Amino acid sequence: MFVQSKLVKRVALAAMATTIGVGLAGATMAAEYPTKPIEVIVAYGAGGSTDTMARIFAKYAEEEIGQRMVVVNRPGAGGELGWVHLANAKPDGYTIGLINSPVVEVYPFTREDTVGYSYEGIRPLANVVTDPGVLVVAADSPYQDLDDFVAAVKDDPESIIVSHEGVGGDDHLAALNFAEAADIDLSFVAFNGNAEATAALLGGHITAFEGNMSEAAAQIQEGKARALAVWSDQRMEAMPDVPTGMEQGYEVEAAASRGFAVPAGVPQEVYDKLLDVSRAVIDNPEFRAEMAQLNMPVNPIYGQDYVDFLDASHERLKALWEKDPWIEQ
Amino acid sequence: MDVLLPALANVLTPLALLTLLLGTMAGMTIGSLPGLSSTMGVALCIPITFNMPPDLALMLLGAVYVSSVYGGSVTAILLRTPGTDASIATALDGYPLAEAGRGGEALGMATLASLFGGLFSVVVLLVIAPPLSTVALAFGPQEYTVLAIFGLVTIVGVASDRPIKGMLAAAVGLVLACVGLDNFTGIQRFTFGNSELFDGVPLLPALIGLFSVSQAFNLCVPTAGGVLTGQGQKLKGRNLPLWRDLKRCLRTLLRSSVIGSVVGILPGAGTSIASFISYNEARRHSSTPERFGKGELEGVAASESANNAVTGGTLIPTLTLGIPGNAVTAVFVGGLTIHGMIPGPSLFTQHAETTYTLIFSLLLANVLFAVLGLWLCRYLVVVTKVPGAVLGPMILVFSVIGTYALRNEIFDVWLTVAFGVVGFFMERWRYPAAPLVIALILGPILEVNFRRSMQISHWDLTTFFTRPLSLTLSLLVVAALAYPIWNQWRRHRAALD
Repeated sequence: MFVQSKLVKRVALAAMATTIGVGLAGATMAAEYPTKPIEVIVAYGAGGSTDTMARIFAKYAEEEIGQRMVVVNRPGAGGELGWVHLANAKPDGYTIGLINSPVVEVYPFTREDTVGYSYEGIRPLANVVTDPGVLVVAADSPYQDLDDFVAAVKDDPESIIVSHEGVGGDDHLAALNFAEAADIDLSFVAFNGNAEATAALLGGHITAFEGNMSEAAAQIQEGKARALAVWSDQRMEAMPDVPTGMEQGYEVEAAASRGFAVPAGVPQEVYDKLLDVSRAVIDNPEFRAEMAQLNMPVNPIYGQDYVDFLDASHERLKALWEKDPWIEQ
Repeated sequence: MDVLLPALANVLTPLALLTLLLGTMAGMTIGSLPGLSSTMGVALCIPITFNMPPDLALMLLGAVYVSSVYGGSVTAILLRTPGTDASIATALDGYPLAEAGRGGEALGMATLASLFGGLFSVVVLLVIAPPLSTVALAFGPQEYTVLAIFGLVTIVGVASDRPIKGMLAAAVGLVLACVGLDNFTGIQRFTFGNSELFDGVPLLPALIGLFSVSQAFNLCVPTAGGVLTGQGQKLKGRNLPLWRDLKRCLRTLLRSSVIGSVVGILPGAGTSIASFISYNEARRHSSTPERFGKGELEGVAASESANNAVTGGTLIPTLTLGIPGNAVTAVFVGGLTIHGMIPGPSLFTQHAETTYTLIFSLLLANVLFAVLGLWLCRYLVVVTKVPGAVLGPMILVFSVIGTYALRNEIFDVWLTVAFGVVGFFMERWRYPAAPLVIALILGPILEVNFRRSMQISHWDLTTFFTRPLSLTLSLLVVAALAYPIWNQWRRHRAALD
């Protein structure tokens, strides 16, 4: 009995010592951060646009931060699985991740009962790319602008088929936005990805394709497809001939934004360090050149501004959802 | 034409040959490990290619791609553990051959068939890529629907010994195929709140569980039917198929290569459809269909030539239209764009030399994996002599690592083990596993394309028969279904006479 309690005491002491040690180490760690490789969680598969952006960013960030940045793909459930891992990761700065707006701020209310992370569990760091939505038709389509298109939909709503990448995704939300602004009902069909939808568009199986500029730009530049509108507040460098929705009288702004975030609770010094690194990478002309080549418009938004940007989108979409949910409950 | 010679010269430099050799060896290894798919192999190589010149970068990716598809056949034949869905049909006949001590011969046939299919499709890519790429566009949801049914017909053949049990297994597969987020409505089906099931029952955990893990259990439990326990396994000499057998399979090789190349062009289809349809067509045209599934070299030839023919096929829309033919080539597109090459017609004009260098290097990579494969056959086949108690745990370890590596989810590992237990008992009670997996793969393709067809045609079922292409495919399905019945009736009558 005596021996046992002595043992317990020893164990308790050892545990205390370890705790203090870890605590001290934690304090010094923040000062010297980073001392080991940093894991970058990408919530989508390898080879996709988010993954490509993350890997190019990591290449430049390694030079700035002096440590390896290891990209880890954790795809699934439209990004949710990756964000669960990001939110649950130890907030020590050795796990960061990519978040994709608008879906990252939408799941917490559209998947309220099942979602595995909370919007508050992820602290946004820096937005890198804002890839505006585009409405694309095939080059031989009779529709030249949004008015043509809207008139055709009003004339025969069933004959116009618009593709998106799944209900509740950013393409679907963009198309819903447009339908609301134009006061029309669109017939949708879901495709499992850009490749299948592009093939269906060029093959004449669907009328229009709602996607992101970086996915559609190559086909537009090749002259195989034509964008009726880009859903941004100004024209895009990659396709200067494509008018915005607003120019044509449709108040629609929709985009997929990709940026970095950390688990909530990361020490402020670590957060600031990562913020500096992000600024340095995004300001690097070589990084900008690579992004331009991929038709990914760089849109730097840092720290609190990024939080506000996401909050605004969160509020706006939540209001839209409460008014008219796009998924049956 | 004036780019062809410089392109050929690019491929034949020592550095290029070394890159190809390393890529081929890496690809063969990745392909033979359960769960490490071609997609993952190519994706893993992308960061390595960042700092390489574009020519070498593409060669590496290409070599990994074609050789990983081949690599899957080795374990499918020797251990009945197909690494990816592309090799399921290979295991159907390859493993019975290995059990009969003819593993070397089956490997040899798989290697030569892969070489045949691979070369065939690259030549197609080299010679008639632009006109063929229109096939990718001609296929609409209606055609994909019928194509998925065509693939499902394979189940009839695979389950012909035990039709009722086979159909039951297929039905379970179709039910499992319903799990996941419905992209058309956003509603979750049978996920029970598990976000891990949003994208459906993940295919590779199911596949690896049913084939590899159940096989690992088999090997560890000597009473489980006594397969491949290593004692007294006699290896019957040959490591190459007989010339006679090759000649007999020539028509199958050609047919399967055509099917593989065409299916490869279709962005919504996938490698396994090609090998299933080719396997079934080989069986249907065979004079001894009853030998399929019990160790018929022609079955191995059909599946392997088809899945390697897919590789060249998938690159046709990728390079000419900028539309990736499958998940692997989608990663490829990422690799191309990083090097400033935007897929599309400009690849054949602006970047012609690099593009033709890639195509030539694919030819060479096919030859390289075949030479390596034939040389390794005699050594690899020894695996079948390793006692089950050693082999089983090893397969289990690789299966767990492989499924975890897929998307870094521990959930997938539990799912794999669960499917392993199910597979083990299915085998004991003589339920075939292949129909379940085929239904699980093709179910979602069938469902989403049927629903797309209905949305586009506004619920008009005749849409499948009023389009020339889907009508033709429908007639082929009818032929594939009716032929065995007619054949049996004819034999029955012949027996009566």
